[in-house]
Amino acid sequence: MTACQDFDVLISLRAAGALDPEESARLEAHLSTCAACRAEAEADAAVLRLAKLPAPTDAERQATSGIVKGALAELHRREGRASSWKRTTAAFAAAAAILVAVLAPAVLGRRPAVPPEDASAVTAAAAWQEPDLDTLWSDAGLLDDDATSSADTAVDAALVAVDL
Amino acid sequence: MTPANRMDDESHRPSLRLVAGGVTPARREEEALVAAFLVGDDDAFGELVRRNEVMVLAIVRRYAQTPEDAKDLAQRVFLRAFEAARRSLRKGPRAAVPFRRWLVRVAVNLAKNHRRDGLRIVRAPLEELDRSGGVSTAPAAPDVLVLRERERRMREAVLLLPRRQREVLTLRIDAELPFAEIASSLAITENAAKVSFHHATRALRAALAGEDRP
Repeated sequence: MTACQDFDVLISLRAAGALDPEESARLEAHLSTCAACRAEAEADAAVLRLAKLPAPTDAERQATSGIVKGALAELHRREGRASSWKRTTAAFAAAAAILVAVLAPAVLGRRPAVPPEDASAVTAAAAWQEPDLDTLWSDAGLLDDDATSSADTAVDAALVAVDL
Repeated sequence: MTPANRMDDESHRPSLRLVAGGVTPARREEEALVAAFLVGDDDAFGELVRRNEVMVLAIVRRYAQTPEDAKDLAQRVFLRAFEAARRSLRKGPRAAVPFRRWLVRVAVNLAKNHRRDGLRIVRAPLEELDRSGGVSTAPAAPDVLVLRERERRMREAVLLLPRRQREVLTLRIDAELPFAEIASSLAITENAAKVSFHHATRALRAALAGEDRP
């Protein structure tokens, strides 16, 4: 026995309690005259009752309490790790800057003047700015402990593209 | 200063997108809480978690081996969703996605990966804890055992559904989300979500009928 084609999706939605009043009235009117669709409706409801998970028990609620505390602790742990990495990077950068400041006069003093064809390189070098560490850190994705598949990335990109 | 405008005076910081019309007060509050958290307000983080933890747990518990496993999964969902929200805000107002939508999307993906990565489960917490909340020790009546076996097989069948059907079905029957929210979270149309739900229901019926056959 199968449902009438015009009503089969509505019958599943009825079992999920997802019909709006107009759809519900239309379907109920049909069900009152169609035994096949009534049987389908009962079968859909029965399978969804089986598929639905039982409500959490008190023991399960107890075991899953404290998400706020745990998530905050993990967040602070990650931020602490990020800060430590930033401090290390900053120390290396400072040491490198001192080294350059000490050695540059001696090295540059022995070198010939920069030929004109290298002027663009000099300009580019002068325009270089230290990258923003937050951006680098974020782009490296090191905050993610969870593996992210390419499919996930594509989904995320699609979500981001959604114009709300 | 309200959380919503804490970042307005710093042009280099992420700012919330203002949407005219169609934005519920609850969503505005949620956006304000996200903004407050992103500038370091831990209380805002706590409030966001409290508002959404029931929904997130409802999504992930089907894929978790134990309640503790579900809790760990839920915590990771919140952390990933905040990171996703932070990154999307950095990309500008047009990239902004409501936080709750991130939560649903991340929960669905993490739960799926959790199963795929070998912590898969064919049992739900139900098998470890009886309905009164304790560890089950007393023998159950035969008809109860038969019912539980059918429920167990049905939960396996749910996990074997095609991805889209499984996502729509579980977001509806576990998290009890409206189809409009399911559709927007999965970036599909509401009609497509309803049709996927219908196909999932029929697939489960077919699976059940196949197993009941001698």
